[in-house]
Amino acid sequence: MSALLSLQNISKRFPGVHALDDIDMELRQHEVLGLIGQNGSGKSTLMKIIGGLHQPSAGEMRLRGSPVRFGSPLEATRAGIGLVHQEQSLIGNLTVAENLFVDKPTDFSRFGFYRRSRMNDAARIQLDKVELDVAPDTLVDQLTFAQRQMVELAKVLSLEELVEGHLVVLFDEPTSVLTPTEIQALFRQVRRLKMRSSVVFISHRMDEVLAISDRVYVLSDGRNVAERLKDETDPDELYELMVGRQRAGSVLPRSNPPDRNAPKRLAVRDLTVPGKVEDVTFDVASGEIVGLIGVQGSGAEAVCRAIFGVEDSHSGHIEYEGRPVRVSRPSGAVGLGIGYVPAERKAEATMKGMSVCQNMTVTFGSDYGYGGVLLSKRRERREAANWVERLKIKTPSLDHRIDQLSGGNQQKVVLSKWLLGRSLRLLVLDHPTRGLDPGARADLFNAIRQLAEDGLSIVFVGDTLDEMVTLSDTILVLRDGRLSQRFDDVQTKRPSEEDIVRAMV
Amino acid sequence: MTPALARMFPSIRSAGDLLRACGPAIVLVLVCAAVICIAPGILKWRAINALLFDAAPLLILVIGSTLPVLLGCIDLSAAAMASFSAVVVTLLVPEFGSAAVPLVLLGAAGIGAAQGWLIGRLQIPSFVMTLGTLGLFSGLALYLSNASSVALGAGVAPLDFLGGRTHGVPNAFLAVVAVWIFLSLLLRFTRLGRDIYAFGASELAAYMSGVRRGLIRSCAFAISSVCAALGGMMLLSQTLYSAPTMASNLLLPALVGVVAGGTAISGGVGGLSASLIGGLTAVMVRVGATIAGLPGAAQDVAFGIIILVAVAVTTDRTKIGIVK
Repeated sequence: MSALLSLQNISKRFPGVHALDDIDMELRQHEVLGLIGQNGSGKSTLMKIIGGLHQPSAGEMRLRGSPVRFGSPLEATRAGIGLVHQEQSLIGNLTVAENLFVDKPTDFSRFGFYRRSRMNDAARIQLDKVELDVAPDTLVDQLTFAQRQMVELAKVLSLEELVEGHLVVLFDEPTSVLTPTEIQALFRQVRRLKMRSSVVFISHRMDEVLAISDRVYVLSDGRNVAERLKDETDPDELYELMVGRQRAGSVLPRSNPPDRNAPKRLAVRDLTVPGKVEDVTFDVASGEIVGLIGVQGSGAEAVCRAIFGVEDSHSGHIEYEGRPVRVSRPSGAVGLGIGYVPAERKAEATMKGMSVCQNMTVTFGSDYGYGGVLLSKRRERREAANWVERLKIKTPSLDHRIDQLSGGNQQKVVLSKWLLGRSLRLLVLDHPTRGLDPGARADLFNAIRQLAEDGLSIVFVGDTLDEMVTLSDTILVLRDGRLSQRFDDVQTKRPSEEDIVRAMV
Repeated sequence: MTPALARMFPSIRSAGDLLRACGPAIVLVLVCAAVICIAPGILKWRAINALLFDAAPLLILVIGSTLPVLLGCIDLSAAAMASFSAVVVTLLVPEFGSAAVPLVLLGAAGIGAAQGWLIGRLQIPSFVMTLGTLGLFSGLALYLSNASSVALGAGVAPLDFLGGRTHGVPNAFLAVVAVWIFLSLLLRFTRLGRDIYAFGASELAAYMSGVRRGLIRSCAFAISSVCAALGGMMLLSQTLYSAPTMASNLLLPALVGVVAGGTAISGGVGGLSASLIGGLTAVMVRVGATIAGLPGAAQDVAFGIIILVAVAVTTDRTKIGIVK
């Protein structure tokens, strides 16, 4: 098989960071190439270079044998390279059809005016390819996350009609927000795609990468450290190559089970969020880790947001440390000692352009000052530095801008923001491991476990079953906004994954 | 750059950053040099003294307007508020005497806080909200004064003070310095100051981190309004009569001052030191234009050009990403 796309000695430098260092890569025809590496290892940068968003500082890229250099994503698109983004790139206030053709030359417009019926017909053909049953004139904002992912895929696939020869399709962590059924649907599409294109597939989940790929590249610190054929390797070896240490025992077992008679920290009674959650009731003891899980739209996220006071309206009773409380905004929750790590890290959790230290101290920095009004920069910096060390946050300094860190390290900064609070009693985590590599995930889990043993109560929404059973003391399964099943004492008597899945669907 | 300097100014990493950081100061020096070339007499103490006296109202407006801009908002009503409060003071003096001044400042704080609160409550962009109140305040000032000048009764202690001098330095300028120091400390060392910067960097993320955005917005607009009212008092102390449009020609220079210092209009970047430099630049441009005998229209042209160039040169676009 000949190489469709080959990279030679590709390097990329950003100010202060050497993101990619002398990368060689070859993508063959009809091949699915897996790409794995820790956060910050350069996977996304590599994808962006191939997709035309970044230009390499050095090195050569060849497509179908001839050297290419893309100045913009549009040029890459026209050459037959499509990128399915990690953070979705669809434009929410345009229709599905408009999004599909926004980056392509089409004949749907005359003198600058759309001919919508023609465009919608063409969109229908593209949507059929990914078996997505939505009207082409639906606004993208009205789709679910998984549907948008499919639209994004359709957008890439519609290159088929425009480009001669094989396509290159890049998937940057497409599965991190999908449910198991949706992942299966995606994999079916990827296998179908192989007929006339080559695919690069990034994921943090080893089993997924092995299930779908023919060959796997491992990146570490911007270098290409290994290449393995699918049949010659296994998840443990890949993990070791990637992280450089053994996988077994990466998340510590709970040393002391939570006290069954510990006082209740949070009691949720008949919580109803219109259209999302109905009559959900549960308790959280001090030091207990409660995991919520359900398929997309099950309402688990809405429960978290209601506790933190950011759902528009909700009814029911919430008791916190024995007193009924009514939280209607985040500042109220913070005052009670409730923290929340949102799933939308980029928009809701990090202040772009601000430093690591500023992001960490925004909520509880004043606790280290005088009287809650005057700040002590020295004391809060010391505390921030302390958490950088404890959570092993990889940053050149406390004054480094947060948006220049990798996703996993950003997440740790967000976590630290809450851990800085001495008055924090309850931490709500919404998909905390989204976009984190296994190494960062294990670090995060160990930190959460340690915090729970010190008495912090945790409510979290997990992405995978493995996460749920590894971390939770109690698992609550939600289905269509209702509590469908509850598993107690998870750490001593582990429920089987089948039992949990049965409760989910 | 030496490591020691790099530690002191972590945001400066390249020559471009350095230029951006020093740009406003360089512009100020150049403008000053130009004015001195046109009129060397300005270097005399008496001229400087008169300049500071004359510049105080504009400087206080620049300082006040900085706070909403740090949030990523804008207060277009500041100049109108200055005229309005001057008119109200002259009308209240016969009734309340010296107490009229603190009453009006308090009222301005209330009105500013209400503006800030309504922006969040009604979800009206600050640009539109303050454009509305700009019309409201100027209209009310015209109505209350019957569209004519009102003479100020004698013996209003706070205004006599603002119009006077201490050891030869205009008290109005000393007041500007005092407000500047107070607000700089507030921004740097208090929780309110940090929350303002956090809000400016990302309103949503700050809100989700427990920052009380309604309160913060109210505080920033209240400070802006009080500074504007104080500017009105200073103008009043200089002229001893109030006119309903006495400060309206300060709207553009005040905003020029904020952005010429390098405070980003998108929020979160900049501060009061920048505004002081920018404010002095605006003052010198005004003075230079007057000395050179340029008509008012030419001054507006100069301010218009400066606002565009200043924003183009001083904005760190890597922090913003997109521009609307």
